[in-house]
Amino acid sequence: MWVKPWNMKEGFLIGGGLLFTGLLLQVAIGPIRWELFAWPVNLIVLILLLAAVGVMFAFRRCVYAFEWMMHAGAAVPCLVYVATLTILMGLLPQVRTGGMPWLSQMLRFWPFVLIWTWMMIISALAALNHIFRWKVKEIPFILNHLGVVVAIVAATLGNADIQSLQMTVFTGEPEWRAVDDDGALQEPGLAIELHRFTMEEYADGTPKRFASDISVYTEDGKTVQGTVEVNKPLKVNGWKIYQYGYDVRMGPESTYSVFQLVRDPWIFWVYLGIYMMIAGALCLMLFMAPKPVKV
Amino acid sequence: MSWDSFIWFALGAVLLWAAGAVFAWKDRKPLVYACTLAGIAVFFAFILGMWISLERPPLRTMGETRLWYSFFLPVAGIIVYSRWRYKWILSFSTLLSFVFICVNLLKPGIHSKSMMPALQSPWFAPHVIVYMFSYALLGAATIMAVFMLIRKRASASEMNLTDNLVYVGLAFLTFGMLFGALWAKEAWGTYWAWDPKETWAAATWLCYLVYLHLRKAKPGEWQSACILLLVSFVCLQICWWGINYLPSAQGLSIHTYNVK
Repeated sequence: MWVKPWNMKEGFLIGGGLLFTGLLLQVAIGPIRWELFAWPVNLIVLILLLAAVGVMFAFRRCVYAFEWMMHAGAAVPCLVYVATLTILMGLLPQVRTGGMPWLSQMLRFWPFVLIWTWMMIISALAALNHIFRWKVKEIPFILNHLGVVVAIVAATLGNADIQSLQMTVFTGEPEWRAVDDDGALQEPGLAIELHRFTMEEYADGTPKRFASDISVYTEDGKTVQGTVEVNKPLKVNGWKIYQYGYDVRMGPESTYSVFQLVRDPWIFWVYLGIYMMIAGALCLMLFMAPKPVKV
Repeated sequence: MSWDSFIWFALGAVLLWAAGAVFAWKDRKPLVYACTLAGIAVFFAFILGMWISLERPPLRTMGETRLWYSFFLPVAGIIVYSRWRYKWILSFSTLLSFVFICVNLLKPGIHSKSMMPALQSPWFAPHVIVYMFSYALLGAATIMAVFMLIRKRASASEMNLTDNLVYVGLAFLTFGMLFGALWAKEAWGTYWAWDPKETWAAATWLCYLVYLHLRKAKPGEWQSACILLLVSFVCLQICWWGINYLPSAQGLSIHTYNVK
């Protein structure tokens, strides 16, 4: 071990070291508080992360570890740890508070987050390595490795900036106040007027379709009219307005409609990453799969 | 088309697929293609009939997803046959498809016309269909792995076939997962919520990524790679239906459309 070229054993040791460091952090400072990553902290963390990756890439010829991180031999142990912890997360009930110590809040568990970060760093380095020896045939590799980094980093760092509010609107009474997940009153900067709530049912009484005809008035004086229903949100001033609920006891006679208002400033980057991954998966089967050998 | 006629379509399809499998052993290529494709057409006719009579895509219940799985296994089988000429692949795909058909005959789902509003989306059909196709390919890769592990030997062309099945299967697994994310954003306002089904989908995806990278890092270690395929397929099964029996997912998943 530790004889060049390194392969998987070294990776398992480094990953183990990361998990141990994570455990120490967990004991010392407690679970990760993602809400602390709200703007501009997430931007600063992103810049630091990019700088770290950039420095590692620049010094890849001087520091052998950085060179090794770009290879599949480093990816295997890292992915094994990531997969194992994710399986553990699937086996143990995930709850907001209580449950098993540490493992029931896996997303706030330092070892889990550190090993995912490790995966992002080696994937970014591998992508950079292929970008810098540019050829058209490198595109599939770059799409896959960069796509996953863009999507996951943007989703993780952007999470604290997502605003998700609920607004209950009665017919004919414009509403501008909403509540967040903790029940605190918020003003999203737009008002919703409910003109009509409609609902259709199947023969067995289960809901088939429910929808709300609404007008949205924004602070900058715009008025947007539209219909909001499940799977068809309305987009106004960076907010997406979703049909969330209604008076279930009254059914079609409901006099109010509940909307969910979501704003996610990082969504562009998440979508960019997702589309890169979709293109990458297409390339995976068309160009990256080994050529068939006939018997 | 009602569920009662399933047995006749299934019987016709399985007989045609079995005939195709027999002709594969006898090297009668035109007959292999003719029979297998005819079986696929018969089976698809039933799916289409269900689609029309239910007035929604037959993809909602577990029984309906099994229907697609039984359909895609021979599809994957004939693709593999056309490229690698393995004589036994169609026998396996027919047998496996037959097992899923039997499960569906013995344990038919409820096939009501109702489909909750959350499922009424253009994403619904592609999301589930690409997943079922991926499951069929990865199922075939699992069979290869079992076969090689039992025989304690793997030839280069067998590993080449297995790799190909995993590459294409993983691509479709990725499509399924990301279509799901794009759909979830439209339906629920969030593209990823670590719902138990999503967590298992991620775990499955990661396991197949381990396989891909392991094959690059240590091409000679076919045994570890094959064992990994078994582990990955267990994750895939948990994600597909095992989750309904998992204590950690009880009452937590919003991916439940089977029960009222």
